[in-house]
Amino acid sequence: MHDTNTRPFSISRVAIYATLIVAMLVYLIPVVVMLLNSFKTTGDIRAGNLLALPTTWTLEGWSKAWSSACTGVQCEGVHGFFWNSFRMTVPAVLISTILGSFNGYVLSKWSFRGSNLFFSLLLFGCFIPFQVIILPMAFTLGKLGLANTLTGLVLVHVIYGVAFTTLFFRNYYVSVPDALIKAARLDGAGFFTIFFRILIPLSTPIFMVCLIWQFTQIWNDFLFGVVFASGHGQPITVAINNLVNTSTGVKEYNVDMAAAMIAALPTLLVYIVAGKYFIRGLTAGSVKG
Amino acid sequence: MAQLQLKDIRKTYKNSPEETLKGINIEIESGEFLILVGPSGCGKSTLMNSIAGLESLSGGSISINGRDISQVPPKDRDIAMVFQSYALYPTMSVRDNIAFGLKIRRQPRDQINAEVSRVASMLQIEPLLDKKPSQLSGGQQQRVAMGRALARRPKIYLFDEPLSNLDAKLRVEMRTEIKRLHQQLNTTIVYVTHDQIEAMTLADRIAVIKDGELLQLGTPKEVYETPANQFVASFIGSPAMSFIPITVTETDQGLAARVTGANRETLRLPLPQGLSPYLGRQITLGIRPEHISQPEAARIEHPLVTRAELTIEVTEPTGPDVIALIRLNDVAVHCRLNPEHPARAGEPTQLMFDMARTVYFDPDTGQRIG
Ligand SMILES: Nc1ncnc2c1ncn2[C@@H]1O[C@H](COP(=O)(O)OP(=O)(O)OP(=O)(O)O)[C@@H](O)[C@H]1O
Ligand SMILES: [Mg+2]
Repeated sequence: MHDTNTRPFSISRVAIYATLIVAMLVYLIPVVVMLLNSFKTTGDIRAGNLLALPTTWTLEGWSKAWSSACTGVQCEGVHGFFWNSFRMTVPAVLISTILGSFNGYVLSKWSFRGSNLFFSLLLFGCFIPFQVIILPMAFTLGKLGLANTLTGLVLVHVIYGVAFTTLFFRNYYVSVPDALIKAARLDGAGFFTIFFRILIPLSTPIFMVCLIWQFTQIWNDFLFGVVFASGHGQPITVAINNLVNTSTGVKEYNVDMAAAMIAALPTLLVYIVAGKYFIRGLTAGSVKG
Repeated sequence: MAQLQLKDIRKTYKNSPEETLKGINIEIESGEFLILVGPSGCGKSTLMNSIAGLESLSGGSISINGRDISQVPPKDRDIAMVFQSYALYPTMSVRDNIAFGLKIRRQPRDQINAEVSRVASMLQIEPLLDKKPSQLSGGQQQRVAMGRALARRPKIYLFDEPLSNLDAKLRVEMRTEIKRLHQQLNTTIVYVTHDQIEAMTLADRIAVIKDGELLQLGTPKEVYETPANQFVASFIGSPAMSFIPITVTETDQGLAARVTGANRETLRLPLPQGLSPYLGRQITLGIRPEHISQPEAARIEHPLVTRAELTIEVTEPTGPDVIALIRLNDVAVHCRLNPEHPARAGEPTQLMFDMARTVYFDPDTGQRIG
């Protein structure tokens, strides 16, 4: 540490910073391009180059994307789909996270006959590609009378997400010393008291990891949305696809860019608010007893 | 005030092929301080967890004051346990840690507060009550863990290596503290330790366990002076007892054995008459450091005491005495000498062997024979 502080211009330092700056640019350029162009007029985009600043800054693209752009036959912008995504993502994230923490608690602290097999099968769920379950899931949703409903979509995401959240919580709770559970049992705490009074208060970092992970996965999902929802019920990812593919007259790149930004903002916001917990939760799983 | 009876306790973990506890029988008197010692993995924690009800038994029964509690859930056994890792609830303050068990048992608030203050003053942790466990030192965490156990006023306390995470000085302090608490509260305590000084100083009785079997149960004096077998003898005492292979022979002054020193010095060790069934056979002599000392006029006339000049190999001054290493029949043997006694490494010195206090083992079974 001391060494690097006293020699700020050592070659390795320069190399490290150069690499970091290059990496940052690679990741930032698409965002910058999107942002810049979302504030341009269509004429401006066609005339200038992609990286140039707008000659006139305008919110036209954003307001059109939000309230009047055409997504297929209807021309009401993406706002309805944006709220669809919210109404799908929030319950799906919360339910899958809560189920995951409960599963993780049982699997790590109350192992039962066959619990390891149960956990292995659940892990299997993490590796099943979306495409594989589409047909059986469509069939099941139809049987349940949930085809093409928001509830159905939430159910799909909960089922798919529980495998991941259980894995996260189980691995986190494994590092909580068993002696803590024993002490609580001797103190008279039962199954649920131990969960709510001892483990849940310890779980903030892993809750954040789960929330971010699940929010990103579910918000950004396209396939389930396009398959299991239709018309007015579709999430914003599907709506953007429709918006970009709707070809009436000239291509309005500013509107496309603005719509894409609108779709990306919530996940961005979640990362900014809870990101530090994400890093912390992923690296420091352990709890001192 | 509770008497605890362990009757033929057996435990086999469901995922393990071997029996971990193989029939443990111990009766613990009311107010007794019982210490469990034994090598790592011998089943001490398993036994403690079984008493607490945290592990189910595969066989046998546990009774408190004559009432069989084998099927009673842990919270209703009225037992408190202090863990090696302390197991303090990390998100709760010290106060809440101590009060947790009382809150769960729905005691009135003012009663809980009174109990927390009582315990806190007994352990001198009042200034810590509003801190979190992570803000405390190891010794302070240890006190809080004891406070949590004390607050419920249980019938029986279980301590599973409570001091092993503390540094040496603090360990001695806490040891005294625990002894004082026991005298003050006069409750039944079962206590696991690796530290045999802890065992000797705290225990009313010591239970030595190996591989899930109880090898010996007795007062510290009994276990130290008349160990049931070679394992117990080697486990208790520091520096450890030395074991010398000897052959019992008959001389005109009674039974004796001839042993050879490092420089081919031979000496004749008198043996007690009780070993006559072993005449002509090889047995194991167990000799503790204090059995070999500087010659002392008061003792030297005893028929089973002898003296010899032997070469010292190494000396280790400990302060109150010097531990010297000699070699007998090719076995390194510790002697405990007065620091005033002239003993230097590589030089011969006069030593007194007190064969009235040594012990003897059958080399085949390891059992003590005299
Ligand atoms: N939950 C468990 N499942 C299976 N085997 C176990 C379990 N807990 C302990 N054992 C085994 O039982 C034996 C006794 O373990 P135990 O923890 O009681 O030993 P110990 O005497 O307390 O050791 P230490 O002094 O190291 O604490 C060990 O061989 C251990 O591997
Ligand atoms: Mg143990």
